[in-house]
Amino acid sequence: MAMRVVALAGNPNVGKTTIFNALTGMRQHVGNWPGVTVEKKEGVFEHKGERFLVVDLPGTYSLTAHSVDELVARNFLLNGNPDVVVDVVDATAVLRNLYLTMEIFEMGLKNVIIALNKVDLAEKKGIKIDPVKMSKALGVPVVPLNAKEGAGIEELKEKIWEMAHGMIKTNPVLPRYDPEVEREIEHISKCLAGTELADRYPLRWLAIKLLQRDDEVMKLVLRYLGEEKLKEIMTHIGEAEERYGRAMDLIIAGQKYEFIDGLTHEFMGYGKAKETLTDQLDRILVHPVYGFIAMAFVFYLVFKFVFAFGMPLQGILDDAFGRFGEWVAPHIANETLRGLLVDGVIGGVGSVLSFFPLVFLLFLALSFLEDLGYMARVAVLMEGILRKFGLPGKAIIPLILGLGCNVPAVMATRTLDEEKDRLVAMFVNPFIPCSARLSVISFLVGAFFGGDALVALAIYLLAFAVALLSAKLVSRFVSGEESPFVIELPEFLLPSWKSLLLHSWERSKEFVQKAGTVILVGSIIIWYLSNYPVPMGTGKSYAERLGHLVAPYLNLMGLDWKAGVSLIFGIIAKENVISTYSILYGGLTGDALKKAMMSAMSPLQGFVLAVVTTLYVPCIATIGAVRAESNWKWALAVTVYMITVASLLGILIWHVGTAMGL
Amino acid sequence: MIVPLLSLVPGERGVVVDLRGGPNFRSRLYAMGLAPGAVVRVLENYPRGPVIIEVGGTRLALGKGMASRVFVRKL
Repeated sequence: MAMRVVALAGNPNVGKTTIFNALTGMRQHVGNWPGVTVEKKEGVFEHKGERFLVVDLPGTYSLTAHSVDELVARNFLLNGNPDVVVDVVDATAVLRNLYLTMEIFEMGLKNVIIALNKVDLAEKKGIKIDPVKMSKALGVPVVPLNAKEGAGIEELKEKIWEMAHGMIKTNPVLPRYDPEVEREIEHISKCLAGTELADRYPLRWLAIKLLQRDDEVMKLVLRYLGEEKLKEIMTHIGEAEERYGRAMDLIIAGQKYEFIDGLTHEFMGYGKAKETLTDQLDRILVHPVYGFIAMAFVFYLVFKFVFAFGMPLQGILDDAFGRFGEWVAPHIANETLRGLLVDGVIGGVGSVLSFFPLVFLLFLALSFLEDLGYMARVAVLMEGILRKFGLPGKAIIPLILGLGCNVPAVMATRTLDEEKDRLVAMFVNPFIPCSARLSVISFLVGAFFGGDALVALAIYLLAFAVALLSAKLVSRFVSGEESPFVIELPEFLLPSWKSLLLHSWERSKEFVQKAGTVILVGSIIIWYLSNYPVPMGTGKSYAERLGHLVAPYLNLMGLDWKAGVSLIFGIIAKENVISTYSILYGGLTGDALKKAMMSAMSPLQGFVLAVVTTLYVPCIATIGAVRAESNWKWALAVTVYMITVASLLGILIWHVGTAMGL
Repeated sequence: MIVPLLSLVPGERGVVVDLRGGPNFRSRLYAMGLAPGAVVRVLENYPRGPVIIEVGGTRLALGKGMASRVFVRKL
């Protein structure tokens, strides 16, 4: 027998993920909903010897056709045939949460359980809810929960089981509207009654959605009943709106809340609300001055945390793989096979896995701030500034993460709500100099400018300026509406560690799987190019020939074939730029290499090389991440765009610099 | 008196009477609790920042542009 399916629905910030984790534990899988970049989480739990598949729907405030998240959730509820729908309701904001509940009821779903979360917090805020009366008022079971502490989870499983076995009769309450609105609903219902469309979807839901001018339902009418019918219905709605003097969806929403408000009086009472810690904190955290200071401090801590723990771990893993390679090498007689395995495969896998600690810690820190509720404050602070460049305030997070590593930064763009914002944010992210480029920049600045920090700072500022201006440019070409800026500032809540670890683990695992293959293939190509037909250093390897091939182009910006080879290898990982120079100069390193480069290049050339290395192309892991979060076409577009921008800037700086006699 | 939400100072309250904007704007707002009839209290209204409000037990931050298109009857 197929597993029974439980759909988990609810608003954002209601603790839905915590409930999902408490239900399914480690038995979960993160993927994407087909055709869209919306995260899909599925998990399994067992109760009374039976296994249930839990599908975590995107957290939404309603089920309109205006956003991908809402459409995904709605389509699953309509067409996914869930056996049970668990609707998570935040006890501290029942009125708003029940708006979604009413939308679910209006879809004609009967097997619904309300998981009433954060009951303890509500009580602290002076809100008293009687779950028994609530259940009576809504016509479906209500299970009070404190998901963070695991309270109520067993009861929820039991109720799901009972409902799946048809042991619970429900009678979901449907919102009643004013007589005039009800008349409109009835009229449209009559127009649709008896048609094929009415067999597939609940009549009342269709009618209400049409009154709200829902795009998807209008398309359905067009497909099933033709243009005539749709026109007839829409004309009728237009006339009704004329009479009211305002949009029908607004009237329906207002009356729906009125109805919900009436319901809540039957089971909810307000005491005296005290000022919470969140109220006090918000006076600082979203303040236009103190807020920025606090934000700088928080991100500083995140960086400290990630790099203080991540860098040594990365070193240890790198070392371990290096030693493993050395240990394996003597055991392979065939020279080609040895090179391929040791330099290509082991080196490649090693560099992927050595990223793992950094990525994991970054996700851990980010999930912590997200679940805590702090990210919403950051979004509010940055909205005013970033919106000028076509990005939402939340996009500051990937931009800052990029300073560490662009791979998790690109993955972090998925926290942005609009597809358009995601695409733009991941497009410009690779311009942000990651820690690998920091090592190149500091080496070159050390060699050519005596380590002048101002030169390094200038390169960073240039990179940020390029990223922001590119965002402004690209956002004009990506279709999609600008997201209206309204965001919930949830109550601060310490996340559960179990949930954080689980989430970060899943995401980092995904990184290894997705970026891993690209890096592996890249390492094998590098190994091949630098060893065939003869090893590098002779001037005859494929790598060096490639360097000479691109040299005429690089000459335009004052660079030579050596830069060509280095930059090509830098595509695999940016720190390769320096190590390749080292090989080309016969193995010189450190100060000796600096001296050799200084005698071969002018400071201006050194500066151009630093700028070009910073901007010229995303590293292969980042290309892989962009592809994973969007598609190949977008990843290619980013790459081509960056090469263009870096070339233009390189040529410009070189020529202006020479003209100025530098 | 019907005024834009933007004109309220911290501490003032109002009842939402109208949302003047496109369908996406409207549905976004009322799904988050800002529907006609909802009682709103302004917590902060920064000169160069967002408007922070409380509605239905939750706190929302709105851009200035949005807050100027939400009309309330001052309480």
